Amino acid sequence: MRTDVVVYASQSLMDHIRTDLSVQQAMNVAMLPGIVGPSLAMPDIHQGYGFPIGGVAAMDMEEGVVSPGGVGFDINCGVRLVRTTLQESEVGPRLRELINQIFRDVPCGAGTTGRVAINQKQLDRVLVQGAAWMVENGYGEPRDVEFAEAGGALPGADPCAVSERARERGRPQLGTLGSGNHFLEVQFVEQIHHPKAAQAFGLREKQVVVLIHSGSRGLGHQVCTDYVALMNQNMVRYGIRLPDRQLACGPIASEEGGSYLAAMRAAANFAWANRQGILHFLREAFQRIFGKEAHLDLIYDVCHNIAKQERYEVEGHRREVLVHRKGATRAFPSGHREIPAAYRSVGQPVFIPGSMGTASWVLVGAPGAMQETFGSVCHGAGRLMSRTAAKRGRDAKTETRKLEEAGILVRSETRDGILEELPDAYKDVDEVIEVVHRAGLAHKVARLRPMAVIKG
Amino acid sequence: MQAGPGRLRRRLIGTLFVIFEAVPNSPFEILEHPADIGFRAFGKTLAELFENAAVALVSIADEIEDVVPREPYPLEAAAGDVESLLVAWLSEVLYWFDGKRVAFRTFRVSEIGPKRITAVGMGEPRDAERHHPRLIIKAVTWHQLRITESHGQWIAEVYLDV
Repeated sequence: MRTDVVVYASQSLMDHIRTDLSVQQAMNVAMLPGIVGPSLAMPDIHQGYGFPIGGVAAMDMEEGVVSPGGVGFDINCGVRLVRTTLQESEVGPRLRELINQIFRDVPCGAGTTGRVAINQKQLDRVLVQGAAWMVENGYGEPRDVEFAEAGGALPGADPCAVSERARERGRPQLGTLGSGNHFLEVQFVEQIHHPKAAQAFGLREKQVVVLIHSGSRGLGHQVCTDYVALMNQNMVRYGIRLPDRQLACGPIASEEGGSYLAAMRAAANFAWANRQGILHFLREAFQRIFGKEAHLDLIYDVCHNIAKQERYEVEGHRREVLVHRKGATRAFPSGHREIPAAYRSVGQPVFIPGSMGTASWVLVGAPGAMQETFGSVCHGAGRLMSRTAAKRGRDAKTETRKLEEAGILVRSETRDGILEELPDAYKDVDEVIEVVHRAGLAHKVARLRPMAVIKG
Repeated sequence: MQAGPGRLRRRLIGTLFVIFEAVPNSPFEILEHPADIGFRAFGKTLAELFENAAVALVSIADEIEDVVPREPYPLEAAAGDVESLLVAWLSEVLYWFDGKRVAFRTFRVSEIGPKRITAVGMGEPRDAERHHPRLIIKAVTWHQLRITESHGQWIAEVYLDV
């Protein structure tokens, strides 16, 4: 190991963390050449592939490596939170109608293709412009772009670095949700913890909001597949030996490293465009049910699978590093120039989706994240139970009915979607949040309660 | 709804497949992972191992008993060693499933060495009306990837990102 591993956790979360390979995986990350500071693990850490999910690692731009597995197969998987002009009491009576409409309008993409038809040239533009291309082409409002991390597009994306296979997988999937842990949830604000930040984000108690969790779909998955294979072929040439081939990496300054980063940025831009498309279809669904006066504003859009070039104070020196966030969310504190002007005085909004049927959280970035975690916090509740274990002895109809009895409507396109994501398959999101709040990495702003969920 | 002969046939094949899965010589079994899913595939030869690994992959993605194996699709992959070849082969199948939108039922390897495989997948174009997706598989990983051979029994363990 070239550096320490630091895990942020409570004692009981630590007891869970020790039951899988996640700490070992964080130790493997600590062996990567050019790592700066410790290999970090957030309280929602769980076993992933190569990197643990909930892992953060910063790499020196000259001496360090980039690892496609350190970003993950779902490049720029992320969350956007949308506020509505509606109250829980207005949506409640028409919730079933609403969720059925959203389920029709927002494709999951498991069995069907998406509703945004684009040709190869248009895909090139999407890969460069991200969310802005969607808005220019009628899938959103100009302010949506302003309220996305990095303005909904990373510079330095190169469509030529994205393989034909990746393009072929991704092109028909633009504007689709995906399956696995991806979902769309109608929620209401249960409790405000930070009135000033809540006001800045336009949140008030009982207000209905919608959380969208999705990523770069098949395009990003194929980009990662292609570059893990390429890095595996070439690691020997750079004298890199690692305990896990899924950690395959190449020097940031190498041709492979540069090419991966150009493809990763293109896939990240595709993901922002994808979430933008979903938001557009969501707006249409709300207006079909509640009329044109139902207005949906994007609060913010954060990514939690990404590698980004950022500057931090490390041991008294300002350093440029490549921060890998694998299941970790950027959490910049107030005053940071990358935060939209409307939020700059309070800090960057951070969204932490909990499991289906429990709760999600809005946080705001705090100074501790800049000092300790390369501006990062957790990204979710973190899985507790395998997908197979979650399904054991259960059937989807009974579980859907139980959730409905608890006041939560669920729709799913895949047979296994509901069972695998049941609330008890996850850690307690409140405990995860308590850790980052007390550690001073981010502060609690609002707790959100689910009303209806669409699973891929 | 009345079951037509084609539907009955598919149901019967589906039932046979389930019985086949339950016997000790099943082509594969599911492995648990905290966040994702894996499988352990078996084969008497390397070719059969790769065929069964592909069946495992598509069975996790789709209800394969609904797929009619009416069209042949040529598949191939190449890599530096046999483990890499398995990842490349399964990634090839996943690409045809997700990118070319082909639902597979069976696989037949025509030629295999430690660095190259050519095969034919039997299936049909994916049809949202007839085919029922189970999970969207994002990718094939290297996590704890293992291929072993002992007394004529090949075993592979593979984890998928879903």
